[in-house]
Amino acid sequence: MFTTRLIHAHEKKVLALAALILVIAIAVPASNLLLDPGNVLHVPSHVVPLFGKYLCYALLALALDLVWGYCGILSLGHGAFFALGGYAMGMYLMRQIGARGVYANPVLPDFMVFLNWKALPWHWTGFDHFGFAALMVVLVPGVLAFVFGWFAFRSRVTGVYLSIITQAMTYALLLAFFRNEMGFGGNNGLTDFKDIIGFNIQAPETRATLFALTGVVLALALLLSSAIVQSKYGKVLIGVRDAESRTRFLGYRVENMKLFIFTFSAMLAGIAGALYVPQVGIINPGEFAPANSIEVVIWTAVGGRGTLIGPIIGAVLVNFGKSIFTAAFPEFWLFALGALFVATTLFLPKGIVGTLQQGFASRRDHKAAAEAEKGRTVPAREPVDAQPQAAE
Amino acid sequence: MQLISRTVRTMVFLLGVCLVSAAGALAQDGLKPLVDGLGATAFPQKVEAVKQLAATGDPKVPEILDKLSAGALFAPKTGGAVYLVEGGVVSDPVTGAPVEGVAAGSLQKIRLNNMLRGAIGDAMSQLTLLSPDRNARLSAAQALLASGDTENLALLDGALAKEADAEVKAAMESARAVLILKTDASAQDKKAAIENVAARGDRGALNILTAALATAPPELVPVIQGRIDGIASSLAVWDVVQNVWYGLSLGSVLLLAAIGLAITFGVMGVINMAHGEMVMLGAYTTYVVQQTVASLAPGLSTFSLAFAVPIAFLFTGLVGVAIERGIIRFLYGRPLETLLATWGLSLILQQTIRSIFGPTNRQVDNPSWMSGTFDLGGLAITWNRMWIIAFSLAVFLALLTLLKRSRLGLQMRAVTQNRRMASSMGIRTPMVDAMTFGLGSGIAGIAGVALSQIDNVSPNLGQNYIIDSFMVVVFGGVGNLWGTFVGAMTLGIANKFLEPYAGAVLGKILILVLIILFIQRRPRGLFALKGRSIE
Amino acid sequence: MSFKSHTLSAFLAGALATTAFSAVNAADDTIKVGVLHSLSGTMAISETTLKDAMLMLIDEQNKKGGVLGKKLEAVVVDPASDWPLFAEKARELISVDKVAAVFGCWTSSSRKSVLPVFEELNSILFYPVQYEGEESSRNIFYTGAAPNQQAIPAVDYLMANEGVERFVLEGTDYVYPRTTNKILEAYLLSKGVAKEDIIVNYTPFGFSDWQTEVAKIKEFGSAGKKTAVVSTINGDANVPFYKELGNQGIKATDIPVVAFSVGEEELAGLDTKPLVGHLAAWNYFQSVDAPANAEFIKEWHAYTKNDKRVTNDPMEAAYIGFNAWVKAVEAAGTTDTDAVLDTIIGTSVPNLSGGYATVMPNHHITKPVLIGEIQGDGQFEIVQQTPQVVGDEWSDYLPDSKDLISDWRKPMSCGNFNVATGKCGGKGS
Repeated sequence: MFTTRLIHAHEKKVLALAALILVIAIAVPASNLLLDPGNVLHVPSHVVPLFGKYLCYALLALALDLVWGYCGILSLGHGAFFALGGYAMGMYLMRQIGARGVYANPVLPDFMVFLNWKALPWHWTGFDHFGFAALMVVLVPGVLAFVFGWFAFRSRVTGVYLSIITQAMTYALLLAFFRNEMGFGGNNGLTDFKDIIGFNIQAPETRATLFALTGVVLALALLLSSAIVQSKYGKVLIGVRDAESRTRFLGYRVENMKLFIFTFSAMLAGIAGALYVPQVGIINPGEFAPANSIEVVIWTAVGGRGTLIGPIIGAVLVNFGKSIFTAAFPEFWLFALGALFVATTLFLPKGIVGTLQQGFASRRDHKAAAEAEKGRTVPAREPVDAQPQAAE
Repeated sequence: MQLISRTVRTMVFLLGVCLVSAAGALAQDGLKPLVDGLGATAFPQKVEAVKQLAATGDPKVPEILDKLSAGALFAPKTGGAVYLVEGGVVSDPVTGAPVEGVAAGSLQKIRLNNMLRGAIGDAMSQLTLLSPDRNARLSAAQALLASGDTENLALLDGALAKEADAEVKAAMESARAVLILKTDASAQDKKAAIENVAARGDRGALNILTAALATAPPELVPVIQGRIDGIASSLAVWDVVQNVWYGLSLGSVLLLAAIGLAITFGVMGVINMAHGEMVMLGAYTTYVVQQTVASLAPGLSTFSLAFAVPIAFLFTGLVGVAIERGIIRFLYGRPLETLLATWGLSLILQQTIRSIFGPTNRQVDNPSWMSGTFDLGGLAITWNRMWIIAFSLAVFLALLTLLKRSRLGLQMRAVTQNRRMASSMGIRTPMVDAMTFGLGSGIAGIAGVALSQIDNVSPNLGQNYIIDSFMVVVFGGVGNLWGTFVGAMTLGIANKFLEPYAGAVLGKILILVLIILFIQRRPRGLFALKGRSIE
Repeated sequence: MSFKSHTLSAFLAGALATTAFSAVNAADDTIKVGVLHSLSGTMAISETTLKDAMLMLIDEQNKKGGVLGKKLEAVVVDPASDWPLFAEKARELISVDKVAAVFGCWTSSSRKSVLPVFEELNSILFYPVQYEGEESSRNIFYTGAAPNQQAIPAVDYLMANEGVERFVLEGTDYVYPRTTNKILEAYLLSKGVAKEDIIVNYTPFGFSDWQTEVAKIKEFGSAGKKTAVVSTINGDANVPFYKELGNQGIKATDIPVVAFSVGEEELAGLDTKPLVGHLAAWNYFQSVDAPANAEFIKEWHAYTKNDKRVTNDPMEAAYIGFNAWVKAVEAAGTTDTDAVLDTIIGTSVPNLSGGYATVMPNHHITKPVLIGEIQGDGQFEIVQQTPQVVGDEWSDYLPDSKDLISDWRKPMSCGNFNVATGKCGGKGS
């Protein structure tokens, strides 16, 4: 169904960005592998996983934007889905180490050996098969999101209450994964990977392939998301965002619509996590930290929520800035980052992309833009919060 | 028996004298060789020397042991003769006469460790049991009880015979009872001792009785067992009460941390991620106030906390007003954007504090009136927790009164309920907004003053509380102060009841899961606002 | 690598900008040294001091004429207490800045995160913090204490000098306390301590409400046998823990607490008067009476322009690591990784407690173990000092690691040689 619409239903800008991502996905690895290091077009080896990381973050931000920008669900726990996908991949990579660990135990990962574990815990079963792990990458976040959403949306938990319980969810998972008894390596997490499906994880070719794969997945996710938001379902979703009760009164099953997009988004986040782990080489409970999930919200806001391009641009830009600043101004980069967030909210309330779009639109057609603006964003977007309540 | 003990002591004493004299040390006083024993290099030998010194009963010994505790006794690095060094002057520790020809630099301070400190304490209590000072006798008796050394029994008997003060006498009786149980005294004596110990009814008594069970004559076993069961069952009840107390105390900390947020987030709807940093600023204000008071008026140091409360309120309140005027006021009606801006702000504030004060913890002292514990029945209550509970209640009530009874409170409620209507009625809404945010921030600052007493004063202080604060406000119901109060106390007590069974980590996870489940049952928190306005 | 490529998209030009950022000013007459410590986030509290210490050491070395006739240049980055960021920054330091060696990391997680990077790019990391052992990488030097250089001597001291028979192993729930407590438990059992006389308890990171835990310790400690607490509580949680101990009136003479993560720096945030007599085990205390130490403290005060700044054990470990590296580079005549790895083994440099630290073939160093008691002024009174102890990377008290040894000298060149099977690589396959 989607495929037939894929081509003509998209906005041109989305198609252009998807094409650009695909070009980068091919060009960067090609330049890294084929060109001579002296060449001005050569992309150094260390840049490949770094940009791979940005692309994973972009995918995560895109996933968040689907629920936040298009359905009004501000999830402060998307880092949890990302991390769960990452752990699923990390467990597969751990099992691939086999007897090459320091204790040469063919079955148990090192951290289990020195904590005196005798057998692999049950939840590690099956992770020696890539197929199983790949399935878990989408299933675990998906099922968690489904169960969580099923309860929360049926109970009509909305607004900040929903945000806070998603935060409680990721915080609880953070504490749980910190526990060594859980068998996920405690605070050290999973690291020192060797192979992925038989390829050396440190080889430039593997890195380049992973980068290309991430780019392709991001481009596909972008197109798929675009197809979703352009579809009839997508329109209703925006209706849910702007006037939930009204949509419900029109006869739509709001819970189910929310549940679908929430679960889909969690799966995308899981895939992002799975692509992230082999490229950065470590997954640990720090990824569950509530602050990480808040950061994802910030990338999305900086780029522009409610646009599909915005979160991708936001995630890449903010993280790129972070990479530069932490090296260039190690003592002061937090000031710069903090100021960026404050400035974005004050001067670019719709984010970079949102503001640009608005600028273009107003130049092209003042009236139409004003009209559209009225219909789309006005008061009902956050009806609960628009009228702060009194202390009782 | 007393006689035997005396004889043994004399023999030990003589032996010590002989040994040291044999080593060739020329003593001008019988004490000197024993004092020189303190200069030994190994701790067990030093402990032995202290015991021997105490056994002499010489009136000079307490003074010498005091000097030892104060670190004024010195000896050569390899051990040997002991000297008193005070203000660079080397003198004889016994006679106090200056010693020529020994440079202070060639000597090393005699090191103490816990075992030696314990031995000194025991020795001092033996020596001060007959002291004319009533309090010295009392603490000596208590120390003898704690040490449980049966050799002191004779000493205690002697002291008891002379004791006139009732309280001291009771303490001595208790000590004696504990010691009796360890000896092979007659069943009659032991029975009286058991009753005496059991009357204390605390965990210490339980342990003593349990230990006595093993060596007790068969006819006493049922008696002891009965007492043990009695104490254990009453302790079980007290344990529950103690847990409630711990829970209230944790709850009051949560309440303090969250109550400012209940204003800025609950009442105004600002998702204030910089709330934790306001708490942190309050804690740093306490530190600065304490430093200033210590340098300007050292005599008032114990009250620096009292100064810190209003100053922290004003300072963080002003910061809050500045934030509201500078940033938040442009964001009303866009609450999610306030999340972004205040998060950025919290990064800036943290880094600012880190740049000014450095990343390490700052030391905020506990004033003496906030240190220590007291017993209330079977409860052990620490003063600082007690004050924090009282303080959080006071803050809560003051805030409630302010909102309900004052003109500003009325205006705040009016503005947050219906801004346009309030504005039409002539209320200067921008001013009220700024004041409300300032009030929430100021209260967060006050919380920082209290938290500086129990937690790290570091740039990360706020981060540790922000999530818990949001949980409390949301659990209690946004916009409802009573909800915040009940929410904080419920979470505190639930946490403390889970902790002993599930462990601290799992307990916290369970609490979070319970909050998630609870929100499913009541999607708007414990005390939901009713009416249509919320949809 | 150049800035002039207009042909690339803005996106890629940005990428190059990162890579070229520090390389632009690169001069050939300096040797670059990476400093990889968190300056923000939760670990900044501990790591910032080490960054300052490293800058001071590099400064001092330059005053002495640098190394191999070249000045040293420190490249400081902020990995922000974020473990994946540690790996990213390490990669950047090595491949972009081309540093000769890196000094950094604090937590085991950060070390585990960068380890594959250092092995892949063949560079050197000096890790200055006490840790749980069970690791020996070709590219890492562990200048902090292994468990046998800190934990085991500490409990020995408790048993011999305090007559302790009952132990509470209280720790933060992460890998270092878990492993250390596993080792200690096995060790105590082997010393005849009864199983019911040991309890192990864990709390989360940043735990601040210690009422129940401290009450539990009090209860466990009132059973008639002398009891001590062996604390592997981490950083932030210590201040509230000690405050609660003080408030509940637990004195060191009743239940002493011996800590492995509490040094002068941590005590600086505390009123230590109620804590006098509680213990810590380290390989260095600021109160060590040695000329080298007095000199070091003087330089530190001058460098930080603050005569109240304290020194601590990880700073000494950084000092030893840095000096060993300098000496090895001078001996090798180059900063080339392989050459330095060869010459550094066996290198002896002065430590701050008046002795020498030798880099052993297992990439750990020799250290004396010092037991100190907390004093009212926030310093430690040293009550015991052992002779030099060689760091034991593979603990003898864990069943799977007792047969392993590490020797990075040729021809063995193995970090996990199994003496039982005679093969490199754990159990041998």
